[in-house]
Amino acid sequence: MSADAIIAVQELRKSYDKLEAVKGVDFQVGAGEVFGILGPNGAGKTTTVEILEGLRPRTSGDARVLGYDPERQKQQLKDRIGVCLQATNLPPKIRAQEALDLFGSFYSRNISSEKLLKRLQLWEKRNAFYETLSGGQKQRLALALALVNDPQLLFLDEPTTGLDPQIRLEIHGLIEELKAEKRTVVLTTHYIEEAERLCDRVAIMDEGRIVAMGTPRELQQKSREQSRIEIVCAQALNAGQLPQWPDAMQTSVDGDGRSLVVYSKRPARTLFEIMKWMDQQGIQLDDVHLKKPTLEDVFVELTGKRLRD
Amino acid sequence: MKTYLSLIAIDLKLAARQRTVIFFNYLFPLIVFFIFSLVFGARQNPAQMTYVLTMSVSLGVLGNGLFGAGIRTLQERELNILRRYKVTPITPVPILVASMVTGWCIFMPYILIVISLAHFIYHMPWPARFGSLFAFISIALIAFRAIGLVIASVANTMQEGAILVQLCYFPMMFLSGATLPAIFFPHLLQVFANFIPATYLVFGMYGIMLDHKGFTDNWRSVLALVITAAVGLTVGTKLFRWEKEERIRGSAKLWIVGVLLPFVLMGVYQAVTGHNVITPGIFRR
Repeated sequence: MSADAIIAVQELRKSYDKLEAVKGVDFQVGAGEVFGILGPNGAGKTTTVEILEGLRPRTSGDARVLGYDPERQKQQLKDRIGVCLQATNLPPKIRAQEALDLFGSFYSRNISSEKLLKRLQLWEKRNAFYETLSGGQKQRLALALALVNDPQLLFLDEPTTGLDPQIRLEIHGLIEELKAEKRTVVLTTHYIEEAERLCDRVAIMDEGRIVAMGTPRELQQKSREQSRIEIVCAQALNAGQLPQWPDAMQTSVDGDGRSLVVYSKRPARTLFEIMKWMDQQGIQLDDVHLKKPTLEDVFVELTGKRLRD
Repeated sequence: MKTYLSLIAIDLKLAARQRTVIFFNYLFPLIVFFIFSLVFGARQNPAQMTYVLTMSVSLGVLGNGLFGAGIRTLQERELNILRRYKVTPITPVPILVASMVTGWCIFMPYILIVISLAHFIYHMPWPARFGSLFAFISIALIAFRAIGLVIASVANTMQEGAILVQLCYFPMMFLSGATLPAIFFPHLLQVFANFIPATYLVFGMYGIMLDHKGFTDNWRSVLALVITAAVGLTVGTKLFRWEKEERIRGSAKLWIVGVLLPFVLMGVYQAVTGHNVITPGIFRR
């Protein structure tokens, strides 16, 4: 294990009776890094993270978080980390500021509730009961609670699940601020765009194992590196009469014959050739899209599943 | 200490904001108090007020302990509220201590209210052993809240917890003498009543109110309740669960029997020696 790793995990395993939820996971997270754990429901990401937070014992393997063993030194560890859980609640009649003051009292150091409420844009709601807050406000309060002890390491377990796009963008902005403050963040998610936008490195988990790990760009390059060219024509094409364009790996005509899909390793050259051919044939162009491989494509290639299966 | 004080302060605020807490800790026992006063003819015979007061306070202690502590902890676990506490550096101890202190702070004003009502409306003399009464009720409250917490610890669901609480509450309410004077029970039921924790509460209070017994004169009842509180809190801490997904083994439910053990032993002792906690003398006055 690297000496300066904030988190170091080796051969981590967790079983519930006969079900093995985590099957030998290895990874390290460096200081100031935003590390994403991506995977469908049941992949083992929450179990992995909850072991690291000191919430669950591991069955075997080794784990160190901020130099602590999360199983044997859980109180010391919990004092130093911030956690935003996937499914949690507060008493319905607690006020937002009271919740922050209460949870702040559990830690050896804390940030003033006023400062946190202002930062999370909850100051206007400081006297509102928890039960009257909207979903987005509750999630912002959950993030404020995760920051109440001014942690250098945060675990955010699916922080935007179930929230509308506007609130998700706000939370993304906050995570980017945490990143700018050089805090280390472990983010579990099944939103591809979240991982691509926010994470320095991503581990893709499936069925309790890490199937790929690296920066989003490295992972995208691990795919077959085929870009997808989508062209919508004004008139139907005859699939049998399409030429073999340079570097095109796979060509198909979808739906009513107007949509042409071509996969290519050199999309610029292939697209140029397609445009030239269409001009020669007198085919009018309605629309064109070029899509680089996404993490989702990588995930599908590696596991044969979609992330939200 | 900061953690304990914060938890107690917030528990008190939350309790004051819940109508059910006000209803079950003040209104319901007061309704019982006035109904019993009417039934026992307390206005005509102020001596009856002692029984009425004891019954009303006993019902309040049972409700505060079993429903207040037990059901509330279960609700917080079912709603994933305790899960949020689990990620912080606190242990179950401050949560349980705060629950005890809050229950006590909420209930004690009721004692003052009901004694004042008994004195000013029904002309009951002020209790001669006020300090002993106060201390005894405090210990009883902690003991019954500890039983409530153990029930919350061993119940896997809210439904299961509600059944267990009611299985404890109703026998205690009817067989302890808290509602029907136990002296009118058949002999077998009187023996059975010796095994019920609430019997020690009811008769301990009678001892203080009617016989002007001190705290130490009531040592059997006090001891049984103190042991229950100690065992209950220990078991409650040991079996405390933060999350509804954490299931408990069926055999762990036997801990309830463990908490009730002091009363089983007291019941056996009294059955063997013939020294019955239900002393007919109390009712002959």
